Amino acid sequence: MKRIKWLILLQIFFLSGCWDRMEINELALVTGTAIDLKKNGNLEVSLQVALPSSADGGHGEGKDGKFFVISVEGKNGNEIHQKLQEKSTRKLFLSHRSVVYISETLAKEGLNGVLDIFIHDPRNRLKTYLIMVKGSEAKDILQMDYPLKQVPIETVKALQISGGELAVTIRDFYIALESEGIQPVMSVIEVDNQSKSKNQLFNFMGAGVFKDLKLAGVLNEEDLLGFMWTTNKLNYGRVTAYLPDGRGEVGLIVTHASSKIITHTEQGSAKFKIMLSGQGGLVENNSTLNVSDPEEMKQIKHALEDAVKKQVQRFIAKIQKDYNTDSIGFGHEIYKKAPKQWEAMRNQWDELFPKAEIGVEVKLRINGSGMVNPTFGKYHGMVTE
Amino acid sequence: MRWSKRRTIRKLDYMRKLNRVESEETPTFTCDLGHNEDLLRKTFRNCADVEYRKIGDDRSEHCLVVYIENLIDKKMLDEHVIKPLLTSLVSNREIHDVTEFMNKTLPVGSMNISRDAAETTGHILEGYAAVLTQGSCKVLTVSLPGTSHRSIEESSTEPVIRGAKDGFIEQLSTNLSLIRLRLKTPKLKIEYITLGEHTRTRVAVLYLEGIAQDSLVDEVRRRVKPIQLNGVVDSEYIEECIEDQPFSPFPQLQSTERPDVVTAELLEGRVAILVDTSPFALVAPMTLWSGLQASEDYYIRWPIATFVRWIRFLFVNFAIFAPSLYVAITTFHQEMIPTNLVLSIAAAREGVPFPAMIEALLLELTFEALREAGIRLPKTIGQAISIVGGIVIGQAAVQAGFISSPVVIIVSITGISSFVIPRYSFANGIRLLRFPMLFLAGALGLYGIVLGYLLILLHLTSLRSFGMLYLSPIVPIKFTALRDILVRVPIWANSRFKPKFHQEGANE
Repeated sequence: MKRIKWLILLQIFFLSGCWDRMEINELALVTGTAIDLKKNGNLEVSLQVALPSSADGGHGEGKDGKFFVISVEGKNGNEIHQKLQEKSTRKLFLSHRSVVYISETLAKEGLNGVLDIFIHDPRNRLKTYLIMVKGSEAKDILQMDYPLKQVPIETVKALQISGGELAVTIRDFYIALESEGIQPVMSVIEVDNQSKSKNQLFNFMGAGVFKDLKLAGVLNEEDLLGFMWTTNKLNYGRVTAYLPDGRGEVGLIVTHASSKIITHTEQGSAKFKIMLSGQGGLVENNSTLNVSDPEEMKQIKHALEDAVKKQVQRFIAKIQKDYNTDSIGFGHEIYKKAPKQWEAMRNQWDELFPKAEIGVEVKLRINGSGMVNPTFGKYHGMVTE
Repeated sequence: MRWSKRRTIRKLDYMRKLNRVESEETPTFTCDLGHNEDLLRKTFRNCADVEYRKIGDDRSEHCLVVYIENLIDKKMLDEHVIKPLLTSLVSNREIHDVTEFMNKTLPVGSMNISRDAAETTGHILEGYAAVLTQGSCKVLTVSLPGTSHRSIEESSTEPVIRGAKDGFIEQLSTNLSLIRLRLKTPKLKIEYITLGEHTRTRVAVLYLEGIAQDSLVDEVRRRVKPIQLNGVVDSEYIEECIEDQPFSPFPQLQSTERPDVVTAELLEGRVAILVDTSPFALVAPMTLWSGLQASEDYYIRWPIATFVRWIRFLFVNFAIFAPSLYVAITTFHQEMIPTNLVLSIAAAREGVPFPAMIEALLLELTFEALREAGIRLPKTIGQAISIVGGIVIGQAAVQAGFISSPVVIIVSITGISSFVIPRYSFANGIRLLRFPMLFLAGALGLYGIVLGYLLILLHLTSLRSFGMLYLSPIVPIKFTALRDILVRVPIWANSRFKPKFHQEGANE
């Protein structure tokens, strides 16, 4: 009996375990993927594979390449993956892939059937960032000669450090896609063609607004602030306000931003009020106003609130009227608060959303006025009306 | 418990069968000196170190002193035995009654009278001088210890920066004196048991009456007394005969070379076993935590001691799991490593011919060999070993591309971690465990590590040392006792240091 017990116990060693043993130097570590649409309708998938031999920056032998790119054309993800693996002598290892780049042409054509492989195959990480490449082919960004070498890794670093950029992972994208009354967005990157230097650079360009998996439009950086603030994702943002009567401009860094959407539904129509609040420090004061004076500070505050309000209104108008895409999730707000009314509205939401009345209210608190109270070079006595 | 007890009994039976002693008829002394001398000469035939000193004139022997010359103090013998005997001879007083002689003439403290030849033989072998007189049927034995022994030095296995610097030596009486010096109380009880058929080694069982539980003392006695070995050379012989679970890698008796440790353990109600000719005392019962505590924990300020304890808790895990975790993660779970780290590990492993597990195993074995060589070699050659180990294996192997540098780092960390454990015998057990863990990790990945960890945990929770659970007071949990496990609270806040003698006395 005892022997049988031991035998049963021993089975956990022989019948189980992780049998996918793979030495680390038998793997091709994929750092980024780019998906392009070819003119013949085929997909072209490019993988950037890290070259481990020079990752330590050590002995400086041979070319100082840190990566190479494999490209393959095919019809669907499975076929493409098969072809990619055939091109690579080592097993493609996708767990360290940080970014999937999607070209603008593909985004416009629609991501139907492209993204499915990213969620069905468990070797893919849902934490991978989705980024749309504007203007050029997605493959270009993998191959570009960036001074810090590996663009995907650097992109992710940039996304994680800045609090104002939109960082959308595959998971976020799918959650938005599958939720009621909200449409997904995606960050946008662009190869910087203006710089004259030898090195190529890239920069973030706002957000791509998707509707039914097709790119509806691109929000610029100014609109992005509105988007981030209303969706409660803003960690860090800069606001500049021009004071009335040409009295100069003031700049604010928003560090604590939050928003609340108040919904009001009636039969066949919906009203929303976006309550934005934020705290921040004054970083620039080119106006004649004296920030140590509470009265004049109030004027600055109002000017800033106005500026934010206009900025957000412009953004709302863009998605409402130009793109007719509910990226913020106003519909989702109704779905949460009045599910029954949403049932009725759901199918006409495309017609209702552009007509919805959306008000914006901004409340700011300026915590600090910077190191110098008046404008640089101006003293209390000199401040005039 | 019952299972382990049964095992202990089975073990003792086995030993008894091995060493069945046929009890011989022990001859007794007669009143004839010549006969008695023959008896002893027959017993000690071909023993060149036994000396027979005859005292008396040519016609008739008056008396005979028998001793082993290397075991006794010659000066004392001359001064306290030979001289009085000669005096009595000169004064022509014949000694018929040894008892009277002993009481009146011999200025020696420890002596014994017996008719039993075996007892006298035993005494002679222990460094007594036997005095046989004509006409007396009894033999007088006088203790004149005079063996040479090492002086008291600092323990080389458990050195401290602050704390007592004396260590046990190979002589039991000195060792007992070191403890008695620290515990000047009649409550300190010392019981002698002689073990080993040929070595006749004296084993002392020490405990503090009123603090040590009677059941524990009884259990120690019950286990030590029936030991039948043909020789007891070191305390390890005793340890292996009385431990609860002979197949465990963990020691179930704490061995120490420090009298202050034994004193502290006695004050906590434990029982110490000291073995003659061994500088290592055994303390029972032992817990896992005492394996991780150094005597110096109580000699430095408590916040530092607490910090050091946590360092040990951390590194004891490293010592078991570091190589296996490295192997499991780099060969099965590459996704768990941050991207930059995985790239540098991959770069280091580029071109290495062995799988990570073989690599780690080779290096671990080399490290063990180096360590073993370092211990066995004379100290002057020891340096050469460290140079060979450090430069040849550490650097050249990596540069030649045989072995990747991350593994060297991991093995070094593991090596350092195993040296962090203060108790040598405990550290040995921990060092051994990392090899099965390595195999489990290499075959089954993190899952294997979890299995191995579970097995270790299962074993530890079921392990007992003299009735005390090995993981106590964590299993079963006793919150007040945690003050001396997870932290080292100040002495005044620790109940372990509060006197218990008076309370016990009041109850009696």
